[in-house]
Amino acid sequence: MADLYFAGVDVGSLSTDVSIIDHSGKVLSEIVIPTGVNGSEAAEEAFGSALNLADLTREGITAITATGYGRASVAFATGKTTEISCHGVGAHQLFPRTGTVIDIGGQDSKVIQIDSHGRMLDFTMNDKCAAGTGRFLEVMANRLELDLDELSSPLNIKGESAPISSTCTVFAESEVISLLAKNTPREEIVHGLQRSIVNRIWSMVTSIGVEGEVTLTGGVAHNKGLVALLEEKLGLTLNIPENPQTVGALGGAHIARRAYQSNLESPTN
Amino acid sequence: MLRFSKHETTFNEITKNMNISIPDRSEYLKTLAQSGQKIMGVLPALYPRELLWAFDIHATEIWDPPGEILHANAHLQTTICPIVKKSLEFILKEPDIINAGYLFPHTCDSLQNLGTQVKDLIGVSLPVYTFYNPKGSFNKMTTKYYRDILQNYQLTLETIYGPLNPEKLLAACVLSHKIDSYLLAIQQARMTDHLAMNNLDYFKLMRAQEYLLPSDYLSLLEQVDILDQPSESPRARLMVSGILPPTSEILRFLDELGVGIVADDLLAGSRRIPKFPMDTPVSPLDYLTDRFFVLPPCSTRGGDLDERLHHLSKLMDASQAQGMLFDMIKFCEPELFDHRLLVKTLREKNIPVLTLETELDSHISGQDKTRIEAFTEILFEMASA
Repeated sequence: MADLYFAGVDVGSLSTDVSIIDHSGKVLSEIVIPTGVNGSEAAEEAFGSALNLADLTREGITAITATGYGRASVAFATGKTTEISCHGVGAHQLFPRTGTVIDIGGQDSKVIQIDSHGRMLDFTMNDKCAAGTGRFLEVMANRLELDLDELSSPLNIKGESAPISSTCTVFAESEVISLLAKNTPREEIVHGLQRSIVNRIWSMVTSIGVEGEVTLTGGVAHNKGLVALLEEKLGLTLNIPENPQTVGALGGAHIARRAYQSNLESPTN
Repeated sequence: MLRFSKHETTFNEITKNMNISIPDRSEYLKTLAQSGQKIMGVLPALYPRELLWAFDIHATEIWDPPGEILHANAHLQTTICPIVKKSLEFILKEPDIINAGYLFPHTCDSLQNLGTQVKDLIGVSLPVYTFYNPKGSFNKMTTKYYRDILQNYQLTLETIYGPLNPEKLLAACVLSHKIDSYLLAIQQARMTDHLAMNNLDYFKLMRAQEYLLPSDYLSLLEQVDILDQPSESPRARLMVSGILPPTSEILRFLDELGVGIVADDLLAGSRRIPKFPMDTPVSPLDYLTDRFFVLPPCSTRGGDLDERLHHLSKLMDASQAQGMLFDMIKFCEPELFDHRLLVKTLREKNIPVLTLETELDSHISGQDKTRIEAFTEILFEMASA
């Protein structure tokens, strides 16, 4: 199995992420770029950058799994799998005792239950609204004239938080406008926004339950204030990957590796 | 006697695997109405179709007529299900294909209220009938009640169409019995892979009974091949529960993924077919009463939830379904009342469950596509384990 490399390409609504691993599962390169308006081009660009970083050529990659909402647009992929399965496998690779994965993505959020092999057992996804997602934070950051980093600063979670809707991004934005008009301090609004997302995630968690360790994936895992609130709500410490945005791509790369291996082991080969 | 179709029809929907033709609903009904056939528009779901047939009235069912909901919204609350909204939109257009009136069975409060609204508040030029099905299980009181309402409905129709010919009613019951027998056999063949038919074609066939003349529908069923040997099993086996089958786009998507819907618990599907073969009708009134009470358990008829769970479990075992898809119509109260406990019980048995919510749009959202695909990944893992 020497010199075999596998890739996962996760075309999400906000970012396109690529992970390249070798036959042993060692990560060789990871890339995150904005998806923009063309998922196909973003996939090409991110994949090219990841190949350069790993000092590999396209021909050197044995199998590629495309995932994310734009998975169908990755023409060079050898297979496609939903981001739900990929996040489960990726989280399992990073934290093998994971039983529950919370993925807060750009467009939607998911709570995924996995078994001791990283196989998905059950999942739930948020509904049609972007409340409780990365897009929600982006809209609010724009409204508050803050960048996303400022929105993620750790806060005193025992402090005041402004009440904000957890069910609708449009209503929540109106509420933020009203709060600004009333001169509510921005940190209270930020705290309220984080609590709003946590409440949304909590309702999803309760619908399928928590098993084993909980790993948080997706770009929102960078938001330290939100992580603290979520840990408080769940009453446990979350596993936070070093690169939470690339967990889906990493899972995709491992799925490509597994598919290649099981194909080799197939009696027809 | 009920007529066989001698009218010309546009057969524009060919089912690939069956090699039989199912007429397009709208064209078929238009041709039928032009030929002078009496046609009654019937709202979901259970009604004594045989009684209408005996009066030479064709019952065409109104479940989810296509088109945007515009005028109906002015008469209904926002929290009313899309079946009611779409039906009212259709009725407000006063379509030519309906010429004998509308029948509103008491399926749920929303449909019952719609009947009252159409009759007393909105007003349409055609007669409006109601039919109050009993709620609850088979017992002396419910059977007596059901016989009474059958007789009352017969009397109502006789005041308009003249005395009922008992021979015609018996013939209608025999025809109904034949249709049920074929549907039971086809359903059984579906569960055991003895039907080479994809999801889309299968549900087109099931739903053709909503608008075809019974004789035409029977002819269609007679053409369905039931295989001697099982065909290739789908990659994953799924059961679906709800009111209507999933939209064509979802069925097509499941076909592409290699997932077969091998059993259903749909009000527009198996819940309207008796649980087991019945004896050939001798006394129409007895037959119609018995038939109503041997239909599978249904959220719209009240009854015992344990009985429903038992029935679902039997269907899942017989079809070897690996998972359950609940395709829930938004704001469908009867279904939502049962849904939570059904999901909980299935999950306790480690049966994967997926719930989708539909507003009967033809388009499938990207999120729902991901949900379906992820769910099938669970089923595929199970199948390969």
